[in-house]
Amino acid sequence: MKLTPQEKTMLDLFKPGTVSKDGFLGQDSRHVHDIVEADLRSLVRLGLDQNDVADRLSHFIEAGKKGLETTVDLGDFTVQVQWQRGLILCPFGDKRRLPKLMATVCNKKLDQCIRYSQLNVHMIREHGFFEGEGSPFRLNPAALVHLLDIQPTLNKEE
Amino acid sequence: MTVLILKTVFLITAINGALAVLLVIAERFFANYGECRIRINDQKELTVNGGISLLSALSSQKIFLPSACGGRGTCAYCKCQVQEGAGPLLPTEEPLLSPEEINKQVRLACQVKVKQDLSIRIPEELFAIQQFETVVEQMADLTYDIKRVRLKLIDPNAIQFKAGQYVQLVSQPYGKVRESVQRAYSIASPTYENGIVELMIRLVPEGICTTWVHEVLQEGDHVQIIGPMGDFEMHEGEGEIIMVAGGSGMAPMVSLLSDMLKDPPKRKATYFFGAVTKRDIFFLDEMAEFEKRIPNFNFVPALSDPQPDDDWDGETGLITVPLGNYLSTIKTENAQGYLCGSPGMIHACVNVMKENGISGENIFFDPFG
Repeated sequence: MKLTPQEKTMLDLFKPGTVSKDGFLGQDSRHVHDIVEADLRSLVRLGLDQNDVADRLSHFIEAGKKGLETTVDLGDFTVQVQWQRGLILCPFGDKRRLPKLMATVCNKKLDQCIRYSQLNVHMIREHGFFEGEGSPFRLNPAALVHLLDIQPTLNKEE
Repeated sequence: MTVLILKTVFLITAINGALAVLLVIAERFFANYGECRIRINDQKELTVNGGISLLSALSSQKIFLPSACGGRGTCAYCKCQVQEGAGPLLPTEEPLLSPEEINKQVRLACQVKVKQDLSIRIPEELFAIQQFETVVEQMADLTYDIKRVRLKLIDPNAIQFKAGQYVQLVSQPYGKVRESVQRAYSIASPTYENGIVELMIRLVPEGICTTWVHEVLQEGDHVQIIGPMGDFEMHEGEGEIIMVAGGSGMAPMVSLLSDMLKDPPKRKATYFFGAVTKRDIFFLDEMAEFEKRIPNFNFVPALSDPQPDDDWDGETGLITVPLGNYLSTIKTENAQGYLCGSPGMIHACVNVMKENGISGENIFFDPFG
């Protein structure tokens, strides 16, 4: 696929060693737009959109921040948030800089945990991007929805 | 027919080649800004080759503005006042500048391209920032995710800094990482040991620079640092000194305490160190030594989630709890707060300090977040 110079510059930021050590695409050979499209389609099949997912992820981050790195018990879930100094750049070229904040959420019933960053939340909400297959911070939409018990937002405008 | 196709291919190739040559020539003549002068603070004048960023032009002349993002226009540390010659404000700069800064002609040096003569103003203390060649003299694990790195300065072989300041560590390419990056770390060593710089570096998952330090860097390796930078330092005052720092945020506190060894303050100082479990605590012996040798200094470690085998009989709870309890028992009118650590911890502790009567003007921390 031919890329515009702007797209080429943007895609460089997704590569390993530019914004993060291993980049955002993993072994995924698909174009970023194709990854986004496929993940958003799988969300639609579950009756959800990217805001539903981002809202739930943000909810856990906000709850976890209060623990100052200690695990916070939220009933069916626990969350622990690590907040490092500094900011990380969004690779989509929107010049957004996100806090280096990492959440680990565990579903007690399923006995499963998931780790994600504040940048993940931003990229899901603003760009519909869950990262490429094999990327260290790839979030599989279906697994995420199951583990975090994500429900569609009520009163969503048609 | 084949000949016609070959002729057409040759013709197109030749046209493309000619256009490419024309572009190179055009770039050379039209995008060549020649020598440009940069006048600094109406005192100093530099001559640089145009066409590069102001940040690069200054660093090529050994004037280093703070920069933690390597000129990507994201950290906004390289702000400086450009009085003439910068051209219009760029969309990449606008989100990172306040309306007051825009009015004062403040720009991001990494985004401003030197295309003509410029007149700029920068704080005088930035002239003291230097690039140092160093060698890693010692590396040690402080915890499972924090390393202590001791750098011996080679060229220049001494650094003058204030306790609390930081340096930028320049990483090298490794693995899939093809470019070096710069990251800011507070100096942990005493100001009087000016031939070395010690850093405490916590591993950030997926972090380019911290992974390099933790997984690649070895004793004996040569490393560049740029500094000193920052205005986090001890201020004159009468009231009690309240220090709060967890994890690698301990670094500037150790430097401040080392200064206190040489020149003990007349006022009381208390350092609250927050950790989750005992495995996150370090430097207990060193802190005990500071307690012995600095009159009126107390170290208060607190664990927020002590484990049964931690055998912990010290303070427990989030660091805000012992901090709040303590502040409610002292006169806070003139007290000063010094904080370093994660932005979340700083935010929470600043609130506790203010709720207990410490004035915002007397609370100091590095805005790394």
